[in-house]
Amino acid sequence: MRTAKIPMVIAVIALWAGQVLAQPTQPTQLSPSPSPSPSPSPSPPTYSADGLYNLANAYARAGKPGLAVLSYERAALLAPADPDINANLAYVRASAHVPMKPLSRFARLVGTTSPAAAAWLGILGIALVGIGLVASRAAPRFLWIPRGGVLLGIALIALAASNAMLLWPHMHEAVILVDQAPARVSPAPMADTAFALREAESVTMTAEYEDFILIRTGGGLTGWVSRASLGAVVPSD
Amino acid sequence: MRWVRILAATLCAFAPARYAMAQTLDDLAYETVEPSRIKLGESAILRVTSFGRIKDVTLPIIPGLVFEPLGRSQGFDFVNGATLPATFFSIRITPQFAGVFTIPGLTPSSRPVGLEVVKGDEPNPYTWHSQQPTPAPVPTGTLPKGVQLQAGGAAFVHLAIPARPIYVGESVPVEIDVGLRAGIVTAVNGLPTLKGSDFTFNNLSKQPERRQESIDGGTFILLTWHSALAAVKPGEFELSAEAPLTVKMSTLSAADRAIASRLAYPLLQSMYSGVAPKDMTIESSPLQLKVLPLPMEGQPENFSGAVGNFRVSSEVSPASVAAGEPLTLRLHISGAGNFDRVDSTMFDHLDHWKTYPAKSSFTPSDAVGNEGEKVFEQPLIAAQPGEQSIPGLEFAYFNPNTRQYEHAQTPAIKVTVAPALASGLSLSGAPATGSALGLRPDHRVPQNSASELRPLYFRPSFLIIPTTLALLLAGSWFAVRPNAARANSKGARKVLAQLDAAARAGDSSAFFTAARNALLQRFAAQWRMPADQITVADLRARLGATGEDLERLFAIADETRYSDHQSGGADFQRWISLIRGQLSSERK
Repeated sequence: MRTAKIPMVIAVIALWAGQVLAQPTQPTQLSPSPSPSPSPSPSPPTYSADGLYNLANAYARAGKPGLAVLSYERAALLAPADPDINANLAYVRASAHVPMKPLSRFARLVGTTSPAAAAWLGILGIALVGIGLVASRAAPRFLWIPRGGVLLGIALIALAASNAMLLWPHMHEAVILVDQAPARVSPAPMADTAFALREAESVTMTAEYEDFILIRTGGGLTGWVSRASLGAVVPSD
Repeated sequence: MRWVRILAATLCAFAPARYAMAQTLDDLAYETVEPSRIKLGESAILRVTSFGRIKDVTLPIIPGLVFEPLGRSQGFDFVNGATLPATFFSIRITPQFAGVFTIPGLTPSSRPVGLEVVKGDEPNPYTWHSQQPTPAPVPTGTLPKGVQLQAGGAAFVHLAIPARPIYVGESVPVEIDVGLRAGIVTAVNGLPTLKGSDFTFNNLSKQPERRQESIDGGTFILLTWHSALAAVKPGEFELSAEAPLTVKMSTLSAADRAIASRLAYPLLQSMYSGVAPKDMTIESSPLQLKVLPLPMEGQPENFSGAVGNFRVSSEVSPASVAAGEPLTLRLHISGAGNFDRVDSTMFDHLDHWKTYPAKSSFTPSDAVGNEGEKVFEQPLIAAQPGEQSIPGLEFAYFNPNTRQYEHAQTPAIKVTVAPALASGLSLSGAPATGSALGLRPDHRVPQNSASELRPLYFRPSFLIIPTTLALLLAGSWFAVRPNAARANSKGARKVLAQLDAAARAGDSSAFFTAARNALLQRFAAQWRMPADQITVADLRARLGATGEDLERLFAIADETRYSDHQSGGADFQRWISLIRGQLSSERK
């Protein structure tokens, strides 16, 4: 009886944790702007894939490809499998003459799952593996059941890990917001310009110093760019 | 007599020195040539200064130079701070061609000097050119008509306004001239102001125009400010301008000034003048201005109060768009008048177009903003695809020159609106369906929202869950002990099945070998010792009477294994029940 209660306790704890994490979820909002409440402490911004997508469309129509791509990238973080987001992102990048790397088959396969779903599937996988191992240790009869659960759990964990590995580069990704943004050789306003970046180009942030961020382009070039010239896909806290 | 002797002795004592000095001066002479660099066609002066008794010099013969003696004179020259009598010879040198010439010393003790002759078009560095232009002569002017000098003749103010009547709201340019006598008015203490509360005085230039004129025999500095004047109500008004100044004023009475004028020396006059600076405000002569009301007859409904003379034109860009895409309609209104009353009400009648608030910008072409161009930018979005027409815009204003209301109208503009939506948002607010060229349509309603863009598995708060879960499961795995009886039961059933099969087949060797191995494995697991180290003594010691039976079973097993002895089949069931009992027994 004692061993039979353990999976139940684990499931209850997981449910409680899920409810705790789900509490910050806010009602639907179009854009990631703070609510106009007159309270002295502004509420944190909320993001929705659809709201970011519509915002990106507005930026694209207004002729601001940098802000459009930034919003599309953020929307893709929340809904990577949304075909509209990916199509418009590709369209705006092509219109801005910014090359876009083609996704591999593996990336497309893993990207069909949203990060939130992948995270909870990973939790489920850990639970299946653990419960399967405990069950097979406790009751060797009908071992194919816990073994099947362990295999399924490992697959789910692998799916979540792959999803995380796929999105990890986006955590340090930024989009250039102004055309011909100078990338300087040192983090100083008067430093020489090493090269210029095109608006809507995606770069990787590697370091920061005061008002400058060290970036690396897809071609491997590095330079210091003014913080105001780019926008991080995942805003820093 | 005594003093005569002393003087004679002194002269005799200095006589050798005086002679020696005279001999030295006879040899002393030098030459200068001025200027040392001349152009071809010019002449230089060679000057020989001699401190001796030379009466004449011999002119040298140098090819290319013509020497012409100008004369000989006597005088004094300074040598090492002493004034010595000298003889000067002046010689004109006229070159015949360009070059650098060396003129030898004309006396035994003078040194050669050089003369450079350049061609006529080459610059002469020794010629002095003034860097400052010659000051222009001060033009002569007169006081404006009706203006009188104020502040003791030190300054005046003149207001220039249109002589004709003006209309309410009409913006007319005005000028304020302030004349300041140079040296008397020391400061202008602020901008000039207009006296009259029924007018607005706009866009007064902060930096006045400045010029000088000679008026009434004195030099005046004239400052001119430009501004625009507008009347707020009809009627006849009096207008004047005033300006604050600081003027040097005499503090003396008439008697004191008379005394000062009799003083001979300027220094005494200045000491006795009694002049002190004084702040004062001078005012122009008042002018009459008639302000007429705007006529009510014929006033257009869309009249917004613009008074002046205006021209309008319009343009749109781009000329072809897709439905839902914005385009910009620009309305240019140029001319002269009160541009602040030119508003964007003419955009109110754009049917079939979705409009947003228009923006305007004004670019003045004069100093006061009375003339210029105002541009309105009106964003438009076509509601329907196809050939669309932006209707002409009408602008109504009152022309004070013709004294009537006029209309300025722009022609209609054709715009091609493509049916394919580049954007998905239709004007009705509903998203367009389907994907088309360009952007895909907006999503209808945002569904879910998140407080953070960072995925769940990258948030530390979320990572607590898998960590806690894994720790719990690992603890559970260690806490749960495997069920030995259940684990053994399956193996026991397998061994008993083998024994039954061997018994049925009558294979005593296989039966006892399998039984022996199964029991050894069972005891090894139970007693936690290697199976090959279990001896007969261990069986007796641990199992008691049962051990004797098992000892016998092991002996039969060894016998059948090595001697190929086949035991009777009647014993198999007894041995099987014994083995089952051992394999199914609880761990001890």
